[in-house]
Amino acid sequence: MSLSAPRFRISRYRRAAWIGSALACALSLLGMLLCWRNPTIAAPLLPGLDFTGGTQIQLERACAPGTCPALTVAEIQAQLGGLTLPQEGQERSPNLSSTGVQLLDAGKTVVLRLPALSTEQGRAVVDQISARLGPLRTEGTAINTIGPTLGSRLLRASLISLLVSFVAIAAYISFRYNGVFAFLALVCLAHDVLITCGVFAWLGLLRGVEVDSLFAVSLITVAGYSVTDTVVVYDRIREQSKALANLPVSEQVDVAVDATLTRSLYTSLTTLLPLFGLIFFGGNSLFWFAVALAIGIAVGSWSSIGLAPTLLPLFSARSPR
Amino acid sequence: MGRQQGWFAFILALAISAAVVLYTNGLRLGLDLRGGSQLTLQVMPAGAIQQVDREQLEAVKDVLDRRINGLGVAESTLQTVGNDQLVLQLPGEQDPSRAAKVLGTTALLEFRAQKPGTEKQMQGLLTLKRQAESILAATRPTPDSPAPPASPLKAADLAKAMAPLGIKVSPNASEADQLDQLLNEVNRRILSLYGPPLLTGRDLTSAGRQQQSSGNSWEVTLGFDRAGGEKFAGLTQSIAGTGRVLGIVLDGRSISEATVGPQFKTAGITGGSASISGNFTAETARDLEVQLRGGSLPLPVKIVEVKSVGPSLGAENIRTSLLAGSAGLGLVGLFMALVYRLPGLVSVLTLGLYALFNLAIYSALQVTLTLPGIAGFILSVGMAVDANVLIFERVKEELRSGNTLIRSIDTGFSLAFSSIFDGHVTGLISCLALFFLGTGLVKGFAVTLFIGLALSLFTALTCTRTLLRLLMSYPGLRRPTNFLPASQLPSAL
Repeated sequence: MSLSAPRFRISRYRRAAWIGSALACALSLLGMLLCWRNPTIAAPLLPGLDFTGGTQIQLERACAPGTCPALTVAEIQAQLGGLTLPQEGQERSPNLSSTGVQLLDAGKTVVLRLPALSTEQGRAVVDQISARLGPLRTEGTAINTIGPTLGSRLLRASLISLLVSFVAIAAYISFRYNGVFAFLALVCLAHDVLITCGVFAWLGLLRGVEVDSLFAVSLITVAGYSVTDTVVVYDRIREQSKALANLPVSEQVDVAVDATLTRSLYTSLTTLLPLFGLIFFGGNSLFWFAVALAIGIAVGSWSSIGLAPTLLPLFSARSPR
Repeated sequence: MGRQQGWFAFILALAISAAVVLYTNGLRLGLDLRGGSQLTLQVMPAGAIQQVDREQLEAVKDVLDRRINGLGVAESTLQTVGNDQLVLQLPGEQDPSRAAKVLGTTALLEFRAQKPGTEKQMQGLLTLKRQAESILAATRPTPDSPAPPASPLKAADLAKAMAPLGIKVSPNASEADQLDQLLNEVNRRILSLYGPPLLTGRDLTSAGRQQQSSGNSWEVTLGFDRAGGEKFAGLTQSIAGTGRVLGIVLDGRSISEATVGPQFKTAGITGGSASISGNFTAETARDLEVQLRGGSLPLPVKIVEVKSVGPSLGAENIRTSLLAGSAGLGLVGLFMALVYRLPGLVSVLTLGLYALFNLAIYSALQVTLTLPGIAGFILSVGMAVDANVLIFERVKEELRSGNTLIRSIDTGFSLAFSSIFDGHVTGLISCLALFFLGTGLVKGFAVTLFIGLALSLFTALTCTRTLLRLLMSYPGLRRPTNFLPASQLPSAL
């Protein structure tokens, strides 16, 4: 094993690293707070159909992108407001005047967000609106309806699985390493998840990007990845702790970070490459999922290099082992 | 070296069998990739049952299974989810509204005789019902004419018809809503004039449909079992020739009211069969037939989620995801070969094997591949690459500190083991949490990531090592410069 003096000493930059991370966390919290205070969102992140419930209809017009007859969002909204829907049992027909309309692919794809409709009502909307949108490619039509109870159930299930996996991971690290490592790994994990959420809070505020159940999946993945990254550095610190026992903890950390730096960067790069593939070549459906993962993984490798190791001396000094 | 060759033969055999499994079984694609519809049905507690349990869920599933078979949708699957939900997948089905209608209703059929002494009230109610129904049929939008035609009935006429019965509807609602309110009220009053249900759908042995001799409408024919036939005879006998009606009630709505002629006064209608003529079209008659054959649902269900994806949307998803995945993996392979030289090439080979094994396991375990599933696969490839990077970095370190090649490889593998193991185990823990606590999409992701992680532990530690050791038995390849630039070797310092 090489025990030569490290070429790169992370502890020299630790103040800068802490300030950078603290700023990023503060900005994320600010974004989520602004989302919360925003009366139209009223949640830390802009919740999508999966969590709010409702019907989303995606239509594809039978024309090449760019050559479709021009359409405006307001025009479609006005037409939707005038539709009559078949009534479902005793319930009142939903009001369609406050429909969200999105035009994608230069007007070729139209996405409608409506209150929860029955299957027949959804069909009726497609049948009636298609007369106005011109010919549609029926193979490109997608209708999703999620009841409001299912949405809240999904949110609860996602949060619970996230928390349970946190606790289980902490338990595993305490068992394999020790409590301080587990605590710091969780701090980094919270840092990574918080910043990923923060970016999406800002995206929701500024660009109207919604979070769906895939976003919950990406958070959990980021959490797992963040811990893996941190574990590699900690594994190295533990491995050399005997050989370097006479050095102060901050020196030991420098040696470990220096030794694992190449690996951390290469691994982030090789994981980011397929994700960039998804971002640049993948379809609409996986775009924001891949973006969330890419942000989380980039932040995760930052925290495993700049945060997890540099925080260790603070806690080790207080509780010498 | 004999041991390495044994391992190599083992890996080769695995690769061949994986290819065979994949070729024969193929991959099961989820609805988001191949197009189709998915309905989630929630079983609702009713009556004395406060909480739906497993057994009741299975009972509901049995009935729904029979109805689905009656509908004749190819390759449909119905699965229970948790304690109170069912998920129905209809591959290739673009318009799930019919299935939703057939599956979502309880289909509780009741035969109820009208109470004596209510003839006059019933007469008025039935007249009003016919009027309102014919108006409603005329005003409902149809696919041919989306805009509702002008109503043939003035609001004043309707009010005049309602006045003697004392029915009021809210005047501010739209015309269609007013008619619906009226029909609901009329139905409620008709039901109150009926006696108890003496005969129900449980007494049926068969159901069919036939076109009525006059006109285009259809009727649903019913066959009763022995006890049912006797009950039907008794019911019809009790009202024969009196002018009172026999009401046929489906899910709390009176769908047909029939009088019985005086010739049945002595024995009632015998023979154990009957027919319902309630303005059915060919399709609605068939739907009711399917529902009656399947039996009524023991508990009501509610459709909480409907998803339908067009086949071209699915194909596009596949194409773009595959393209994205392979482009990313190609770059990763290039990167590994450039940075790690010979072992980099070996890892490209093992990653190829890794992808093959992964797909073979999906195929063998019949894992349904969805979009998040593909994302899980791509991510697990990232983790598998990480394992290789960890190992090769260690090998390089050993070489730099002056160890021999073979020794460096062995030490590299054994030192990297603990961090690879811990990293994978924490990943597997998250997968388990996701799988057992997550829903739908999240589960699909957890499954592929779990398989990928478990497999990566095997391929990184076994396949890479075996291949590398095997190549080292060729003296031509056994040069440290195949691992590192010469400038980084200790001899060059």
